[in-house]
Amino acid sequence: MAKMSYNRKANLQRIALLTPGVLLFGIFNFLPLVALLGLSLVDWPGVGSADFVGLENFRKLALEPYYRDQFVNALVQNIWMFVLIIGSMLLLGSLLALLLSFGTNGRGAYRAIYFLPYPLAGAAVAFLLDLMVQPRGAINTFFVKTLGWWDAPIGFLGDTDLALPTLAMFYAWHRMSFAIVLILSAIVGVRVILLEAAMLDGASRWRMLKAVVFPVLAPAFVLITVIVMVDVFNNADYTLLLMGPEAGPLRSTDVLGTFLFRTSFGGSATSVNVNFGMAAAIGLVTAILILPAALFLALKNLRKD
Amino acid sequence: MHKIFSLSRKEQLAVQFILIAWACVVLIPLGVAVINSFKPNLGEVYRAPLALPSEWTWSNYAEAWVGANFGGYFLNSAIVSLSVVVIVCFCASTTAFVLVRMPFRGSALLFACFMIGVIIPIRLALAPLFTIVKGLGLLDTLTGLILVQSASMMPVAVFILTAFLKSVPSELEDAARMDGALPFQIYWRVVLPLIRPALATVALLSFVQAWNEYFLPLIFLQSSELYPLTLGIAEFRAQFSVQWHLMFAGILIMLAPTVIAFLLASRQFIEGLTQGGVKE
Repeated sequence: MAKMSYNRKANLQRIALLTPGVLLFGIFNFLPLVALLGLSLVDWPGVGSADFVGLENFRKLALEPYYRDQFVNALVQNIWMFVLIIGSMLLLGSLLALLLSFGTNGRGAYRAIYFLPYPLAGAAVAFLLDLMVQPRGAINTFFVKTLGWWDAPIGFLGDTDLALPTLAMFYAWHRMSFAIVLILSAIVGVRVILLEAAMLDGASRWRMLKAVVFPVLAPAFVLITVIVMVDVFNNADYTLLLMGPEAGPLRSTDVLGTFLFRTSFGGSATSVNVNFGMAAAIGLVTAILILPAALFLALKNLRKD
Repeated sequence: MHKIFSLSRKEQLAVQFILIAWACVVLIPLGVAVINSFKPNLGEVYRAPLALPSEWTWSNYAEAWVGANFGGYFLNSAIVSLSVVVIVCFCASTTAFVLVRMPFRGSALLFACFMIGVIIPIRLALAPLFTIVKGLGLLDTLTGLILVQSASMMPVAVFILTAFLKSVPSELEDAARMDGALPFQIYWRVVLPLIRPALATVALLSFVQAWNEYFLPLIFLQSSELYPLTLGIAEFRAQFSVQWHLMFAGILIMLAPTVIAFLLASRQFIEGLTQGGVKE
């Protein structure tokens, strides 16, 4: 009898322990994700009644010029931004990690300095670097006045060709240490025995790098690419912070995240094309675009246990 | 350090050159912010952004803190971040404890639901999330923001804690159970002390994430007296974009807590980065 009551109490307590976490996650995270499916099938400005429209939102996204042009523009620019970010992070990150892996003087100090931007808020990085690249900011002052290399200041964020690459460089500045840490730990993980064997074979340092070190970098590269990809395709903070929801100049910095934001809340006060159904459809399409990368990441993490 | 890794003098010189170059790229923006934030007036910031101040003064910090209300924003950021840390640590550790040590029919399914949260970023579900928060009457309240930010951290936190709990033996808990201890006691007396290292990582990750979050407050807050620093500084910039001296001071006020947190716990940070790097 006493045993029964222990089990009952234990069971009740188990439920009590599980409830807060499940409710919190369920209501504010899982439910919205599931609701994307239903909401993407309606036309609804956020208040009043919703009209069921079936797959109309997806059709508009693919065919109606107003939505299609914005979507294609945002997608292409998002891909371009991703390529710039991942290219610079992998190239520079590998170079720096490789140099740090040698018996370099002051390795610890360099690593600490390189890691400094990582914990900073995206808002702090955006505004700080914006002040650097402003026409009257430090970079332009240095190259125009101090060195005299440039005739006139360059308006990095005011130029339709330069704005998006500038934002990509802001991102790379912020997250470079992430690439460095992952690549460095891969390099350090190469067994010294392997390197010794290669050296006994009389391999040059370059051949050794090619045969032993580069192959172990592949998994680190894939991991960095996937994580950055998931982030860059849903997070539009830099554009929102510096360019606003209209993603100026002339939508040249528009990415999927800002397009989604505009569709939910409008770009400016006068916006009329606010549609939560369409916003859900855009969210769903974006989720499907990054799903392969995200799934890969999840499986890799689960296998690690 | 093995001799394959040692460098000749010439090589060392070339390597140092490149490493210093990147260190400059990292440090110069921060250095420029620091020197300009101590300048006595705006004119000096515009005239010579790269020069040291003619006179070092704290007045910009004082003006930003009081005049631009960064003090108020700072307090809101602190309330939100600390609440998120407490809620996430509590909810994620109880959830992980039940899922790992007291599994039931459906617990694997429940874990899979949490993993969906790891895979699909909550930002994409902006519209339904907004509808739910509005329906609960939590729009434009710190409570609503805290719950949303906590929930967004839950998947990663549950993932880190379940992985850790699986890796430690359950002997102590079994012994406590033999002595008739109930789950509450086991959780509080045995499990919580046991998972402390992983909990520290979770706390640090959620603190930094919550402090740095810009997007969720942007969606869920409207009244400026509730703004955290990220929104407050954006608001300030929209109104007084020419006040660079105050912008620099404000940026440094905003980044100080996370940099300090990083300096105090750089090891957990890097661990968190490699384990919890699942989600930004």
